[in-house]
Amino acid sequence: MKQEIALNINGDTHELLVSPNQTLLEVLRDNLGLMGTKRGCDLGACGACTVLLEGEAYLSCLMLAMDAVDKEIVTIEGLGGRGNLDPLQSAFVEQGGLQCGFCTPGMILTAKAMLSEEDHPTEDIIKKRMAGNLCRCTGYKKVIEALQSVSEQTAEEE
Amino acid sequence: MRLPKFEYVEPKSIEEACSILSDEPSAKILAGGTDLLANMKHRVEVPSILANIKRISGLDFIRQDNGAIRIGALTPLKRLYKTTLVTEKVPALSSAAASVGSYHHQTMGTLGGNLCQQNRCKYFNQSQWWRSAREPCFKVGGGICHVVNKKEICYSSYCGDMAPILLVMNAKVVLANKGDSREISLQSLFSGDGKTPLDTKKGEILTEIVIPEEALNSFSTYSKFANRESIDFPIVGAAIWSSVQRKEHRVSFTAVDRKPIRARNIESVLKGRDLSEEIVEEVAGLASKEAALVKSSNYAPSYKRRLMEGLLRSTLKKAMRRS
Repeated sequence: MKQEIALNINGDTHELLVSPNQTLLEVLRDNLGLMGTKRGCDLGACGACTVLLEGEAYLSCLMLAMDAVDKEIVTIEGLGGRGNLDPLQSAFVEQGGLQCGFCTPGMILTAKAMLSEEDHPTEDIIKKRMAGNLCRCTGYKKVIEALQSVSEQTAEEE
Repeated sequence: MRLPKFEYVEPKSIEEACSILSDEPSAKILAGGTDLLANMKHRVEVPSILANIKRISGLDFIRQDNGAIRIGALTPLKRLYKTTLVTEKVPALSSAAASVGSYHHQTMGTLGGNLCQQNRCKYFNQSQWWRSAREPCFKVGGGICHVVNKKEICYSSYCGDMAPILLVMNAKVVLANKGDSREISLQSLFSGDGKTPLDTKKGEILTEIVIPEEALNSFSTYSKFANRESIDFPIVGAAIWSSVQRKEHRVSFTAVDRKPIRARNIESVLKGRDLSEEIVEEVAGLASKEAALVKSSNYAPSYKRRLMEGLLRSTLKKAMRRS
């Protein structure tokens, strides 16, 4: 039986009618049309569905929508758009950290969560934290370079 | 892949969650969900009720109490390598937590959930469509085992990363049941039956993990071999705990049997002796005799035997260098 819930997504409250067996990923894409969050393996192995939940990187395919009630959810749409890109988004563009772009929303949100926890992550830490985000076209070198440039930028600003 | 239908409840207290479990045998507890929901998508677990215990407060803590370190079952794995108390007193627990799945799994997954994870088998962790080509096995309620023929035993293996290190530290777990609770050794939480890997009573919920004080001042470490180093289940994992003063060395393995095992034979050979190159070589040859390996994963038992030997050798040498 469907139930009425309210989800806080990208700063807006959405009142929705969902089934208990709907994942957060399904609700984001199918109910709300937020297609930035990608459905990859749908089993928690690829990281494409990553969203921020209270600032932490969560796999929305392994999370019930009902479980996300009262939590602050941020998807790639909430990070920044044309004209006001998040520094991470700009870095991916400038460093060429993507080709087809399918894995990019997940990559950027995982990176966002990581950078909020680690001030200046080493390359080793970056590789470990990003290991759950698979990319099938470019490889990972330019992604790592993009993250390093952002972390260096914030170091300079301090 | 859609999840099957179920009734979703958010119990307000552990007592309420325990009642749900004892009233409805096919109800399941939802914590991090990274193991359970993936299995549900594969239809190998189809609970009638999911009781989300994450809204219950007081199950997410790390504290030292009379010397022992007590960790709430709902503590996210990530917290184990972000909390100074753990990184300083039990660094091996921190590094084991950092070796579980990916960063996301460490954020979502909980210590209690990791210990209580479902056993794995190459004929079980598959989609409904994949499995439909064969007769259903014991683990999904059928009458056959595709790994070992003619025996009424499920040979799925326990592949958790957190159990081995806690086993060598002689950790205990607290199981709550309605108003009551009991403390048992972690070892006795595991039944050794692949079909129902946990030896809990009806309505019981794991609430707390206790690491005794005596385990804290000695060297311990966990290492694993995995297909993709940073994000996979172990092909084989091994933990050791080694006390120079007591001349006691404990060894455990994961992903080699239907439960995580303590290598009692190796431990008795090591007892009362100081570690040396010769002793390490002597016991390395015994490693593979601690488990009866079967082909429940994509890796050959002969390969896993060599990994057990290699892991035992490298972890014992690490302990040797520390002392």
